[in-house]
Amino acid sequence: MAVHSIGVIGAGTMGAGIALVCARKGHRVHLLDTNQDVLNKAQSYLLEVLSKDVQKGRISKQQKEQTYRLVVPVQDMALLKESDIVIEAVPERLELKKSIFASLTEVCRSDSLLLTNTSSLSITEIAGGLTHAERILGFHFFNPAPVMPLVEVVRGKQSSEQNVTRAYQFARDLGKVPVVVADTPGFIVNRVARPYYNEALRILGDGIAEVDQIDRIMTLAGGFKMGPFELQDMIGIDINFATTESVYTNFFHEGRFKPSRIQQRMVQAGKLGRKTGEGFYDYSK
Amino acid sequence: MTTASKTVLLTGTSPLYSELLQLLKEKGYRVVSLAEMAENRTEIRFAVEVTNLDLELKKAAIRELDGKLPANVPILTTSLAITATEVASWTQCPARVCGFGTLVPLAERELIEIAPALQTAPSVLEQAEAFLQSMGKQTEVVVDEIGLVFPRILSLIINEAAFTVMERTATAQDIDTAMKKGTNYPYGPLEWADQIGLDDVYAIIRGLHRDLGEERYRPAPLLRKLVLAGRVGKRSNQGFYQYEPKEVSYR
Repeated sequence: MAVHSIGVIGAGTMGAGIALVCARKGHRVHLLDTNQDVLNKAQSYLLEVLSKDVQKGRISKQQKEQTYRLVVPVQDMALLKESDIVIEAVPERLELKKSIFASLTEVCRSDSLLLTNTSSLSITEIAGGLTHAERILGFHFFNPAPVMPLVEVVRGKQSSEQNVTRAYQFARDLGKVPVVVADTPGFIVNRVARPYYNEALRILGDGIAEVDQIDRIMTLAGGFKMGPFELQDMIGIDINFATTESVYTNFFHEGRFKPSRIQQRMVQAGKLGRKTGEGFYDYSK
Repeated sequence: MTTASKTVLLTGTSPLYSELLQLLKEKGYRVVSLAEMAENRTEIRFAVEVTNLDLELKKAAIRELDGKLPANVPILTTSLAITATEVASWTQCPARVCGFGTLVPLAERELIEIAPALQTAPSVLEQAEAFLQSMGKQTEVVVDEIGLVFPRILSLIINEAAFTVMERTATAQDIDTAMKKGTNYPYGPLEWADQIGLDDVYAIIRGLHRDLGEERYRPAPLLRKLVLAGRVGKRSNQGFYQYEPKEVSYR
């Protein structure tokens, strides 16, 4: 099925990034947010990125104008009624997402594909009780969306196989690398990556090796690009801790995902990594 | 350096064995086997023992080395499936036992970890560091616990990926793709496991589970069964993936 028009809900970092990914492939995008300031910011972000593309000779000035104009900021959900595909990227609050999808099922055609960019909520729960839940799927981009190639296509309990295929193909058409995953806590990446942080914290806590030693070992012995502690400092220790807590809670306290008290204390102390000037390393100097 | 000072005894069943053998030879060492120990007894300057999956076999080899080699010859043993401290406890001269741990392929390891047992003599630790450095590797000394740092963390990532495949949450290929494209891993965890050898990976997780006694370290049943079935990865042509058996050339 041809995609003519896309709706993106939520114009924050992820939403704006996703809108850019779609527009670069020539899709018309209605970028919806209830907050005009957020929409303005998203538009300046698009201009900034596209201007850099022109400076670097990747696109012409004309292409920049065309791409920029493809993203239409809107505040009224009714304008998404002709969208073939809608991607929701609002903050990770279940009630907010549920109410958005309830409205979308009324506004959009029954054959539209309704996707959520959630990283931690259950697709099945978001879609529960809605009509035509077979068209609701997870579509998880990684930050920053225009750069990271992966999209996790998440199959909810009620998602149809046909729509999984459509979402997969759509990700391909966007130039992304899709994978298909069942609706389980953390999907693939946020689940399988847990031991990288959690076990490093456990090794630290058990007095087996120090922070800088562990980072050195994982990069030089393991070939990882960044050690687990410098990576936590970059991601934000609070964000990393919240992801672990969410996976742990949603796996009904499976021991493999048990969060670390060391990490919790860092969060409580406000030492969140680079963004606060201090985390496992000191960035103030 | 004389030939005698460069004679090393190497023994064990881990996939590390053949790679260490090659690397030692490249670095000019003369390598002898356990069977050749008697006639080279006075020339051997270092013993390296690398069995991980079969701990009874490991114990027998360590006891033989300890019983027959002069007390001043250090024994470097993999502390991947068991602590160096426990290995040292099997011997009459525990001060000469020192743990170390890494995973194949060695060409990709710029650094190798060393874990002295509680009983290890400081001079033995120094010799262990110098020995691994002579093989062109940086070293990092960590406290003795099963799997050290890199082998332990990577094995648990692989274990989680194995649970994910077993539960049919995603295919092996999609899991590998996701970890490479979504979080920049050098390899997908399952193709990595096939390269390392599932036997070494499983031995580490089983050891952690046995010694630390936590659900956190429960081996994925699929991983255990693949090892029991002899599907240990690339070197047996089957692991999480199926490989084409290599054709033998008679030319």
